[in-house]
Amino acid sequence: MAKIEFRNVVKRFGAVEVIPDMNLVIEDGEFVALLGPSGCGKSTSLFMLAGIYLPSGGELLFDGHIVNEVEARDRNVGIVFQSYALYPHMSVRDNILFPLRFKKTPRDEALAKVKAAADLVRVAELLDRRPSELSGGQQQRVALARALVKEPQLLLLDEPLSNLDASLRLSMRTEIKSLHAQLGVTTVLVTHDQIEATTMADRIICMRAGRIEQVGTPDDLYLRPSSLFVAGFIGSPPINLIAGEAEAGTVTVDGARFLVEGASGALTVGLRPEHLRIGDTGFAGRIAQIEPMGREILYVVETGMGAVRVLEQGSSAGYSTGEQVKIGFLPENSLVFETARQKLIAGAHVRAPA
Amino acid sequence: MVTQHIPMASTAASEPTVDWDALAARARAVRRTKAVVLYAFLIAVSVPIILPYFWLVTIAFSAKTGVAETAVLWRSMAVFVPAVVAFWLTAALAQSRRQLWIGIAAVAAIAVFAFVLSVGPDLHLGNFIFLWEPDFASVVRSRVGEIKGAVQFPNVWHAFGNSILIAGAQTAIVVTVASLAAYYLSRFQFPGRSSMLRSLLVLHAFPVLTLIVPMFLMLYWIGLLDTLYGVILVLVAFELPFAIFIMKGFFDAVPWDIEMSALTDGASRRQAFVSVVLPQVRNGILAIAVFTFIRGWEEYIFVFTFLIRNSNWTMSLYMYWVRDDVMGVDYGVVSAVGVFYLVPSLILYMAAQRYLMQMSIGGVKG
Repeated sequence: MAKIEFRNVVKRFGAVEVIPDMNLVIEDGEFVALLGPSGCGKSTSLFMLAGIYLPSGGELLFDGHIVNEVEARDRNVGIVFQSYALYPHMSVRDNILFPLRFKKTPRDEALAKVKAAADLVRVAELLDRRPSELSGGQQQRVALARALVKEPQLLLLDEPLSNLDASLRLSMRTEIKSLHAQLGVTTVLVTHDQIEATTMADRIICMRAGRIEQVGTPDDLYLRPSSLFVAGFIGSPPINLIAGEAEAGTVTVDGARFLVEGASGALTVGLRPEHLRIGDTGFAGRIAQIEPMGREILYVVETGMGAVRVLEQGSSAGYSTGEQVKIGFLPENSLVFETARQKLIAGAHVRAPA
Repeated sequence: MVTQHIPMASTAASEPTVDWDALAARARAVRRTKAVVLYAFLIAVSVPIILPYFWLVTIAFSAKTGVAETAVLWRSMAVFVPAVVAFWLTAALAQSRRQLWIGIAAVAAIAVFAFVLSVGPDLHLGNFIFLWEPDFASVVRSRVGEIKGAVQFPNVWHAFGNSILIAGAQTAIVVTVASLAAYYLSRFQFPGRSSMLRSLLVLHAFPVLTLIVPMFLMLYWIGLLDTLYGVILVLVAFELPFAIFIMKGFFDAVPWDIEMSALTDGASRRQAFVSVVLPQVRNGILAIAVFTFIRGWEEYIFVFTFLIRNSNWTMSLYMYWVRDDVMGVDYGVVSAVGVFYLVPSLILYMAAQRYLMQMSIGGVKG
């Protein structure tokens, strides 16, 4: 188990600076997620942790020791790739055995460990098969077993679920989380899927263009996103962002006015679809589209300030397309951002027009 | 469900009736015709290739010293040509895969039977005398009462061994060097990489014969003229560029992930290369090995130029001298040597055919 630290880490590929300056501490035994869109530097960070990329500057520490130049094979890091990266020419048993070959583990002990790891991820009956004979989910488990068999001090998961179908993804999510609880190994998950990050990780590091936007628990990121980017990235369906101008306690946007507390100037109001209610008060609109999602219904409401998404509980639509409605919300659920700096204004809220 | 009852009779009357059976029959006829034409074309283009081999084998097993008769050849043709036509008709007329196989088996059985009946009594192994009689040239010549002037032939197995040595050593070196070089070209960035890749193809485009005089001089000066090593080095140099290019295509197709995975699993770069990357390009290695071996096996120009002593003869030189010495007397022996020379490459091709087919796929990726 290890505590991981990035100190002013820089990574450049030629002239391109992928990570300008990264500072981050991951506690021993923690499960963190690196979340961000493609090309934000999350996989680069992961490969630096694995020892595949050499940092261009700064220090990378495992348990207080600088490991910048320690080779990948000496770091005792387990990694699961998006493609699983199983060795196609080896049986499942030899795949899981592979890391132990270089640890000079005695044959009997190694085989016992392989058995234990295979049992842990429930692939014990597949040991004699080739990777090509396994389903995606099974390959995923084998890759996990291979990463875990050497008892790594750090487990790295690079988009581990993105090649699985939806229902399998759900069960693997649960399994990986319970494995972490069982083994307590420090785990870093790289993903572009906010649901994966929020459901599995203790802490989420939200990245954008090589910089860390926000670090926090899933709740922090959802309830108090520090920037417009995080607010837009977390939450499904995505948040409604409405830009306007605030003057004398009133935000004016095209076709509506909100009363604002604690902010002025060019603002962007953030309203999550699940916090909006269709009712008697609020701003007016016309229902343009209805998207039933099973337990919930998503209404796309055409208003003076553009299309607004409203998520209502319940399985049957209470309104029909084309109906004129009013949309209200509780002021404490609203978020207010400074448009120019794209930052959250803490404590500021808006109130729906009467 | 609401079923709509459309008055069928009136619709049918207003539209022209479609005769589905006639359409199907026409499609069948078209398909049949296409197959017949296709097989005819394939047979027409393959006959000029197969016929010389057929004759070579027939002559090797039937010709007699000093007798320039072609009756056996004509009799074998009398079996061969109807057999080809019968195969063609079978393929064209067969209604199902089962019928096709039964038909082909029947034709083949009849053809073999007819061949044994018409040519069988003339078949013999006498032309393979060179396999057990090193001085066969004198023996053959003495049969027609002419002894003087026979070339002193080395034992054929010696020439066979030389050919195996040249082709084998060339293959071993090319496979080793090409794998390492191609891996490096595929995985590492270094100055001059792209120009090197381009020059690989340019090198292959050069007609190698233009270099034969300078090569001769170089081998003479470094003392490798008239040695097998010299020829091996020259062949390796000419075969490497293309082999590297092919192998690079195979290495490019190996995902980075499994290599990175091996590194984090505790392997060194070399261990990862040997235990994880190399097994993925096994087909490529087999393909270039087979091609290089056959290239070395059939090599004629370089060995003819650079090897002089008859103890250094390869099979191609042996064949050349046999032709030179006894052709006028006994073309059966020449054919027999040809068959003997042909067999190893034939066996190798058949054994490796599966991997050779994949080379084009792997190669295109490069």
